[in-house]
Amino acid sequence: MKSISLTIDGRNVKAQKGMTILQVAQSSDIEIPTLCHHEDLEPYGACRLCTVETIKNDKTKLVAACCYPVEDGLIVKTSSERVNKIRKIILELLLPLAPTGPLYALAEKYGLCECVKKSDEESEWRMIKELRFPAEKPTYCTLCGLCVRYCSEIKKGNVIGFIGRGVDRKISLVPEENCGFCRDCENICEGGKFLSLLEL
Amino acid sequence: MKKEKTKSHFVGVRLTEEQKKALSKLEKTSDLSKTDILLRGLELLSEYYSLGLDRPPLNVELKKLEEEAMHHFQELKRIKRREESVREMVQELRDIDKIIDEYNGDKSALIQILLKIQAKNHWLPKPALMWVSERLDIPMSQILNVATFYKAFSLDPQGEHLVRVCLGTACHVRGGPKILDAAEQFLGVESGETTSDLKFTLESVNCIGCCALGPVMVVDDEYHGKLDSSKVGEILSNYRMKDMDRSEDKRKALPIRHEMRRGQSG
Amino acid sequence: MKKLQSASDVEKLRKELLRKQDSSKSCISVCSGTGCHAYGCEKVVSAFENELKKQKLEGKVEIKRTGCHGFCEKGPIVVIYPEEICYLQVKIEDIPDIVSQTIKAGKTIDRLLYTDLKTGKKVVHESEIPFYKNQTRLIFGNNRKIESKSIDDYIALGGYNALVKAFSEITPEKVLEEIKKANLRGRGGGGFPAGIKWESVRNAPGEPKYVIVNCDEGDPGAYMDRSLMEGNPHSVIEGLIIGAYAIGSHEGYIYVRQEYPLAVENTELAIKQAEEYGLLGKDILGSGFDFTIKIHRGAGAFVSGESSALMSAIEGKVGEPRPKYIHTSEKGLWDKPTCLNNVETWANVPFIINKGADWFGNMGTDNSKGTKIFSLVGNVNNTGLVEVPMGITLREIIYDIGGGIPNGKKFKAVQTGGPSGGCIPEIQLDLPVDFDELNKVGSMMGSGGMIVMDEDTCMVDIARYFVKFLSEESCGKCTPCREGLRHMLRILDDITAGKATEKDIKLLEEISEVVKEAPLCALGTTAPNPVLSTLKYFRDEYEAHLQGECPAKVCKELIQYRIDPEKCKGCGLCLKKCPTGAISGEKKGVHTIDVEKCIKCGACFEVCNFDAVSKISSKERK
Repeated sequence: MKSISLTIDGRNVKAQKGMTILQVAQSSDIEIPTLCHHEDLEPYGACRLCTVETIKNDKTKLVAACCYPVEDGLIVKTSSERVNKIRKIILELLLPLAPTGPLYALAEKYGLCECVKKSDEESEWRMIKELRFPAEKPTYCTLCGLCVRYCSEIKKGNVIGFIGRGVDRKISLVPEENCGFCRDCENICEGGKFLSLLEL
Repeated sequence: MKKEKTKSHFVGVRLTEEQKKALSKLEKTSDLSKTDILLRGLELLSEYYSLGLDRPPLNVELKKLEEEAMHHFQELKRIKRREESVREMVQELRDIDKIIDEYNGDKSALIQILLKIQAKNHWLPKPALMWVSERLDIPMSQILNVATFYKAFSLDPQGEHLVRVCLGTACHVRGGPKILDAAEQFLGVESGETTSDLKFTLESVNCIGCCALGPVMVVDDEYHGKLDSSKVGEILSNYRMKDMDRSEDKRKALPIRHEMRRGQSG
Repeated sequence: MKKLQSASDVEKLRKELLRKQDSSKSCISVCSGTGCHAYGCEKVVSAFENELKKQKLEGKVEIKRTGCHGFCEKGPIVVIYPEEICYLQVKIEDIPDIVSQTIKAGKTIDRLLYTDLKTGKKVVHESEIPFYKNQTRLIFGNNRKIESKSIDDYIALGGYNALVKAFSEITPEKVLEEIKKANLRGRGGGGFPAGIKWESVRNAPGEPKYVIVNCDEGDPGAYMDRSLMEGNPHSVIEGLIIGAYAIGSHEGYIYVRQEYPLAVENTELAIKQAEEYGLLGKDILGSGFDFTIKIHRGAGAFVSGESSALMSAIEGKVGEPRPKYIHTSEKGLWDKPTCLNNVETWANVPFIINKGADWFGNMGTDNSKGTKIFSLVGNVNNTGLVEVPMGITLREIIYDIGGGIPNGKKFKAVQTGGPSGGCIPEIQLDLPVDFDELNKVGSMMGSGGMIVMDEDTCMVDIARYFVKFLSEESCGKCTPCREGLRHMLRILDDITAGKATEKDIKLLEEISEVVKEAPLCALGTTAPNPVLSTLKYFRDEYEAHLQGECPAKVCKELIQYRIDPEKCKGCGLCLKKCPTGAISGEKKGVHTIDVEKCIKCGACFEVCNFDAVSKISSKERK
């Protein structure tokens, strides 16, 4: 297979044709935040947290690292003022919907919150910046689609699906299918309590 | 050659008074004698067993479909008896089969098939979706995704008259929202809902392309243009009046509102 | 219908059709586009049929149901040939007069003719009406000359001549060269050079290759594609076959939105007719080239007009766009090379092949060649579809063709490019309209929707309208678009209700940046345009709303309806029309509005004959 040479954050890295920027970065120990990505599933490109800056032929573009196929001579910046601003606002938009550990952990890196120790065993997350995008109540769902895709692509169960469109998009259990109660969807969910908050 | 009907008696079976009455009614109203019916039953049972309908997975599927049929027609308040709902369901499913065969069972024709079912029934009944899922081998989750993504589909029965108010940009600047307000006010429902008497379903659409007539309201296939909000009530009550003029017998039983409709008391 | 086996068969058929045509015979052409259907054109046709029978002219006068004429404000439109006498806003009661006076006696009926707004003179011939005279009706003009359901009319006019030329005189490569030379840019909004797209599909590895006609016209207020598809479907089909020939594709799709039933009907019929004539199917005109077309109906989703979403929909899936890092020209429908173009783009192809790229290049500007069809709608006198050369100014379109703003109101803005475009104020009216100029002022030409807004329009309300539209039509897959639009709508709701502060406007601008930069598809990238363009040119209106005022008196929470006691005659008409019983008053006495019960529907404002009802700022009341 043809070998490709590109630069990520100033480092020269080699890759195979057909790999995405995220795959190359992860194999070179370069960190790019993700939410809707899972190594066993097809790249989805929904959360946009993995947005990076790419430069080719003097043209700068913002792309989703999980989906963008690498090119020879591509220059990638995984972190810049522009990119960080975007990630910060995306996390600000998602946190009120799913105020849970994994999202707080991501948000901490962008200065939105901090982990405060309450006692030897307990610690809690506290917001540093005021939440500018309030949600009526948390849905504990970021619509990352991990549960839907896992149940469909890996388990071939198709017990969970998306319904609706736009701001009314939701996850739904499909009662006509036979759920085997493997609970893999619960384990894969980053947004929080899964089954208890599903709407039929 | 019509067999002479002999009076029935049961060998080794004691009948209750009610059962005796039912048997005598059956003999009076049907052409068949008790033994004819039993033979027919045995024939059907042998076919039933030979097709494997008594064993999983078919017995589960069959039961599911029968329950859906009962539920479906009871909801529509049309049919109550078991054999009628099953018979009607067979006809409906055969109709859907015809539609699917038009497209040679092509999976990619899902949207086209659903459009035809929607046009025929004015909504997408659950048994229809289950049948399409079965025939096209598409998971129900995907079918529900498609059915809820596109605005042309309705998972709930719709009213007799479909009222569509255009909210395209041209109609918007000519006062379209006021027309919608007036329609909501008159019908007592919000856009996207059906009146509790199931006469009207009110919807907003994003451009019918009759911008010169704006603001426009379409009821069924009739266009009402160059409106102002004061005319809306008059137009809609004309439809009510026209319906009341029709005799009771000709009126079809109206579908009831499915419980899944988002919280509305109407 | 006899199958046409070769190029010369087509020519023979045309000559025969022309011979049969009797140019001295009277022909009544009735505009039968969807707009005129809404005006009742079918009743007009029936009335003509009955009247001709009555006056013993049956069989001696032809009636044609033509495609949309474009002057939609004045429908139903009837044009009498051969004189080309154009009657507007024809009613059933006018039909007997038209038959006896015009058809039989050759006299024109003044009351049905167009009156020039400036001179007051009557205009007889359709092409002399200023609305039409100032246009260049290259693509659209044929609509009025043909019966939409007739392939013979199309062929008699010269239709399928370009196809014959492409198959018999030039190679597929030459066809491609000609389209590239003409610099035909996509008419759907993207403006990408069609020739280059065709070439990349042609050169992409993989079979089969597909060609698609995008008739999912989702921009509210735009209906050009519908009128072309309904009125002259063969012009699009001819362009598609030629394109398929150049690219090497043997399967085509026409994606028509479900809201266009007449377009679906006429296109299905057109495909059948073309198949019967052997213009579609195997070995077309003996060339050895096979090509078939299937129709796919949309199901009500604006986002499925985006090219990758459209392809998903044809595959039977939800219309969610996918990342286009690998272009659809390489991996499109079923991951095969696919060429998708707009209806109008395909309709331009036969002209370029017939008359040549140089002829085409004579119209338009340096980078935008040819003509463009616009739907000129909203607060404008001559609502309808107009076709003009690229480079004409907005002012010429709105005033010279559109006849300016009705009811003596002032022009405020023109919105172009649909929900992806922006609002352009008066100071920019002399901008030439083409693919690139409008982008410089924060809008875009888009697919051709041009919505004129007068002084009674609230620009903040318009921004809110578009954001609401997009929040519902977005597929909802990616966070920036879905959540971004959700909060943009919330903020705009607050602004129009007078509950927002300066901080909210800053937040609106900040969210707009993320929605613009990081979404999955172009719907997201262009979604903030209406907000950003109105903020740029009408910031004072936003500021006024922060102070609790709606200068245009549109936003319900910020206005009150008031009856002027000096003008009120006590006729009680408003009381009757009020849906909530908010108006009270004695007969012949001054009426008043109970502000608590008033839902601000505006019915009283509309019915009052004495101008006694007015809208005031709710602050004034306080």
